[in-house]
Amino acid sequence: MARTTGKKIKKFSLSQRIFHWLYGVSWILLVLTGSIFLWRANPESAATGLGPYLQGSVGAAARTLHRIAALGLMAAPLVWIFGDFKTVLPDLKELFSFGKDDLRYMLVAPLHYTTGKPALPPQGKYNGGHKVNFYVVVLTFIAFVVTGLGMWFGRGTIPDEAFNNMRMVHSIAFWGGLAMGLLHIYLTMIHPFTSRSLSAMVNGWVDLRYAAAEHSRWVETATKNGTAQIVEEGK
Amino acid sequence: MWESWKPDPSNKQQQVAMLVDTSECIGCKACEVACKQWNENEVRINQEPGTYQSHPSLDSQTWTIIKFIEQPEAEGMGQWLMQKHNCMHCTEAGCVTACPTDALQYGDYGVVTLDQDSCIGCGYCEPACPFDAIHVDKSTFNQSAQKAGKCTLCFDRISNAMQPACVKTCPTDCIKYGDRDQLIAWAYERVEQLKAMGYKNATVYGDKELGGLHELYVLLEGPETYDLPVEPKLSKRLTFWKYGLQPIGKALLGTAIFGMIINWVAARRTFKGGLHPHEAEAGSTMHD
Repeated sequence: MARTTGKKIKKFSLSQRIFHWLYGVSWILLVLTGSIFLWRANPESAATGLGPYLQGSVGAAARTLHRIAALGLMAAPLVWIFGDFKTVLPDLKELFSFGKDDLRYMLVAPLHYTTGKPALPPQGKYNGGHKVNFYVVVLTFIAFVVTGLGMWFGRGTIPDEAFNNMRMVHSIAFWGGLAMGLLHIYLTMIHPFTSRSLSAMVNGWVDLRYAAAEHSRWVETATKNGTAQIVEEGK
Repeated sequence: MWESWKPDPSNKQQQVAMLVDTSECIGCKACEVACKQWNENEVRINQEPGTYQSHPSLDSQTWTIIKFIEQPEAEGMGQWLMQKHNCMHCTEAGCVTACPTDALQYGDYGVVTLDQDSCIGCGYCEPACPFDAIHVDKSTFNQSAQKAGKCTLCFDRISNAMQPACVKTCPTDCIKYGDRDQLIAWAYERVEQLKAMGYKNATVYGDKELGGLHELYVLLEGPETYDLPVEPKLSKRLTFWKYGLQPIGKALLGTAIFGMIINWVAARRTFKGGLHPHEAEAGSTMHD
């Protein structure tokens, strides 16, 4: 366990966390149930692939689960919007402002999180990586919802070319989202240093020392404004 | 000549085909019955009013139908054009390209085979077929019953030196089964005969379309009259989806996972105990 200063700063509200986990769990279920068929049998080997497991009752359950998870994914943003609306606009404003420091962060981060150098530029509540992740999430969310609903309810009624295009967009969104999603999971749950941020999405609080290093601009501004909620650990 | 034809069992690369000479089809639908009977497909009664056609289109249990196209004439009696419609067993098949589990494959003798055990009923093949010849029952929540269904060119029969059921039963012998090249040569001769008889628009369909179909036609009118696609093409996007995007995606996934493993190995050395090197330096004076 990492050593800390004993102080924690509040980063995410309960609604934000429910939104995140509902979206995340739905996304994982969608990935698992939606990608089984990609692992086809190799005609050159004895491997049977995973496609046949999408048949029968297991296949029916996987397809039904895929649709239920899709409903969870679509409902997730509503939890944030209706549960904690006051944070929606300020957070979106920050997420959609991508400045020079964010760009520098993106250039430096891969090396920094491997060797500890060079230093990262000051970041707000969301760093450049969070922002790029958010853009991918928004774009893939729109793509998944539009094409997923189209294929779910439109099969046989929408034009064939439109169906084929929807499947193509759904697949591109899948591969793009999968790459970003796995990187997000790695950095927040596995990476030795950045996984310290996970607590922010579990109980809402993150180690102040970590936040000051990774989100210095946010901590400084929030402390100055008096909006920062800081507590001693254990209190 | 054609009645006794059978493929060379030692040459699975031999291209076989069915040829329908529509000028000799009488629309009796015996082929439909023979198809249902041999393949043990359920009877589905859904005739469209105002037509002699038995079904409005093919479905997952109806693999061949006779399409009836009424041709009104300005003077005298009109005529019925009839076209036996089923899977065309394309050389460049949209359904094979779209099938995510490879249940649809290019099989022996040029037949597009469907392995129902591998079919997951996703329905991707339906919109990929330019001939509306493959179908999956639509049932959103009772999905275990979903399986694609289409003409197999009686692969079980022809691979045992028998003729397809529809060919065997056709009372006018307008459906012929044989070597594809020989049938094509015969078809062009037949078209010349028909033109000499006054059918100026008679034509061969299936020779070049989609790399060559294994269901050939001698038509009395142009293909558009029969609602057959003129110069159909295999979608490049569909080809890219399966043979481009998916391998690229898997390669990127492998590269990303490999990169994360390398990063994790290096980062464990850099960020010992989860601490940034700066924290570790400052922390030498701190307590846990």
